[in-house]
Amino acid sequence: MQDKIRAKARELLETGTVDCVIGYERATDGLTARPVFIYGTAGVDRLVFDQTCVHNLSKFLLDRRDKRTAIVAKPCDSRAINLLINEGQLARDKVYIIGVVCQGMPEVSWNRVSKEPQERCQRCPQRVPVVYDYLVGEPVEALPVTFSDVEQMENAGPAERRGFWLEQFGRCIRCHACRQACPGCYCSECFVDQLDPTWVGIRKDVTDNEMWNTIRAFHLAGRCISCNECERVCPVSIPLSLLNRKLEKDVGEFFDFQAGIKAETVPPFATFKKDEHLKGVE
Amino acid sequence: MSQVIAREDLSRWLNSLMEERTVVVPVVVGDMVFFRPVAKAEDMTISRGNATLGPKGCLFPLSHTMFTVEQEDGDVRVIPSSLEREMVVFGLRPCDAQGLAVFDLPMLAEPADQYYRERREKTALVGLACAEACAECFCTSTGGGPHDARYMDVMLSEVPQGYLVQAVTEKGKKLLAKAPLKDMAVQAPTPPDVPRVPTDGIVAAMRRTFADKYWSRLADRCIHCNICSYVCPTCYCFDIRDYQQDGKTHRVRSWESCQAPGFTKIAGGHDPRADKGSRMRQRFAHKLLYFPEEFNNVLGCTGCGRCVRYCPVNIDIREIISDVQKIGGG
Amino acid sequence: MAVGFEPRVVGFLCNWCSYAGADMAGTSRMSYPPNIRIIRVPCSGRVDPLFVVKAFQMGADGVLIAGCHPGDCHYTEGNYHMRRRFALLQPFLDYVGIEKERFRLEWVSASEGKRFTQVVTSFTEQLRQLGPRKDRELMAAKGVQRAV
Repeated sequence: MQDKIRAKARELLETGTVDCVIGYERATDGLTARPVFIYGTAGVDRLVFDQTCVHNLSKFLLDRRDKRTAIVAKPCDSRAINLLINEGQLARDKVYIIGVVCQGMPEVSWNRVSKEPQERCQRCPQRVPVVYDYLVGEPVEALPVTFSDVEQMENAGPAERRGFWLEQFGRCIRCHACRQACPGCYCSECFVDQLDPTWVGIRKDVTDNEMWNTIRAFHLAGRCISCNECERVCPVSIPLSLLNRKLEKDVGEFFDFQAGIKAETVPPFATFKKDEHLKGVE
Repeated sequence: MSQVIAREDLSRWLNSLMEERTVVVPVVVGDMVFFRPVAKAEDMTISRGNATLGPKGCLFPLSHTMFTVEQEDGDVRVIPSSLEREMVVFGLRPCDAQGLAVFDLPMLAEPADQYYRERREKTALVGLACAEACAECFCTSTGGGPHDARYMDVMLSEVPQGYLVQAVTEKGKKLLAKAPLKDMAVQAPTPPDVPRVPTDGIVAAMRRTFADKYWSRLADRCIHCNICSYVCPTCYCFDIRDYQQDGKTHRVRSWESCQAPGFTKIAGGHDPRADKGSRMRQRFAHKLLYFPEEFNNVLGCTGCGRCVRYCPVNIDIREIISDVQKIGGG
Repeated sequence: MAVGFEPRVVGFLCNWCSYAGADMAGTSRMSYPPNIRIIRVPCSGRVDPLFVVKAFQMGADGVLIAGCHPGDCHYTEGNYHMRRRFALLQPFLDYVGIEKERFRLEWVSASEGKRFTQVVTSFTEQLRQLGPRKDRELMAAKGVQRAV
């Protein structure tokens, strides 16, 4: 797979189709991968692709909106690219997508690679990128969709749930790494930075942390593409996917909608049906 | 003859300190380690490495109410915060203690930060020497070492009989007054080898690399997640905001990071560090150029390795030091 | 049920229908529990989930959103958007432990003064039965501290 990616990158840079290839290279631990920006054919051999390439590179495209860029994209990353195109943040013709078939990635952190695939990979509905210009790897079958993790939380009693989440939010240090890593979080002024009025502020207190995490999740309702970058980067291991996936489950159930599958679609909050009867209302 | 405390006696000693002081120890939470105050010392865990978040939050809290303003019948009262009990931080590593020594330089220089100073004066540090180095630490290249006791009040080193105890300061001696110590002929453990990073002449090399394109290129992959600043034992950026709660106003100081977009935005909308490269350069220039220039060649980095461990895109200060030496080295 | 517990309810009422309905209840001298603090918004569609979470963060025991009946929105479609938002927000808040009984969406028209009093009365009573929020006790049990 790595050789095909390198060859394609070389071709794209040589022909001037793109000015930059965003992919992965080896990290300083000699074991895992890190994002890399290749600007010329001389750097192409730095590109790697293996089980440690967990990062979602799509957000970097927002730093290069008006430039032609190629990107290595796993299925989850490709959903993010579709989301950004749908929301008018990226022009499809400025992005060349080197799609990679994915069998699932292990838990990867500095100098550590787990033996098991990530939980989210064990239930990923796409193994082949949903959009690409060039495909690397042989297509494999998708896995059945399940929200058993969310259901388990839903079935716990209210006091148990409340205690669980208060404990999680109590640990949040408000570094906002989740927001920075998320391709769906690109607002030029985030609600947490608003001063007039100050909705949340910067105080690292459990009540403010709860506001931060729940509203961020809600701002991603119908938009989160489950790349899990937020949870991966969180330095205090808050199970953010458990929050986002609750909304993903409900959006799927109520509106039969999944984010990132199509680049041309109307998201559920941008529309309504006059006669719909939704649970909990009336 | 050396003084030793047996493993079983350690908890007993810490519990006895809790009668008059808050005792903060490393506590395991899932797969992480945090410094937290405990009700009994048995809740602590001594694990290898330095904790996920260091003890800098004990002297410079994540969020801290500086004072509270109350109003009653037109009478306005300002109530400053104060630390009620003295504190003992147990189990910190030399890199973290050195971090606090670095903190002291800007925070205690006159006019001193009164909140930091109060906590510093009321806190005793009981350190734990490192038996092994992590893959990412490099304290011997930043003026420290795995057994460096200079910045502790008491230093403990693991030996087969328990812990070798060294009282470093008067404060430390007082703390040990009632500790169940035994006199024994014990050999001090050998410090582990710590990988070296080329920090000689880094200040001059940084100065010469200031205008280089290197910082822009490096910043390409930075996502400005702020994690490096938050896990760093020497980062001290903060912001102060007022909060209304229960009819009172609280002025709260909280951690911030120079890596966040908009950190340097000023009234009128100008942002001198709007581009990623400037912010990236700022972090390393602060640690490796401005700080040593301001404070008598003391490096702003203590080699704890946390930023290397937690950066989601592997921005590695050791690699940067190497690169800067190549670009700007003499 | 806690003895003497008076729930604090925050109500977001749309100017054209439900606020007018509440006003009508007042001018007609109909009584309803004083537990509710009303915030007037131009349209129920103006209610941002941020307002709801902020109200709970500041100690509200219950949050009510009242708007025009579907089809009657003064701005044509604001309440349709609110309906979708509510459908997702209510189970989501329930999921993080703010019980769904604490958050309600009701349609109240300008002439429905009586209905408004019924809604507020039944909501307040339901909250009284539910009791105060247990955050403080749960935080203590989990060792979560407020910021110093």
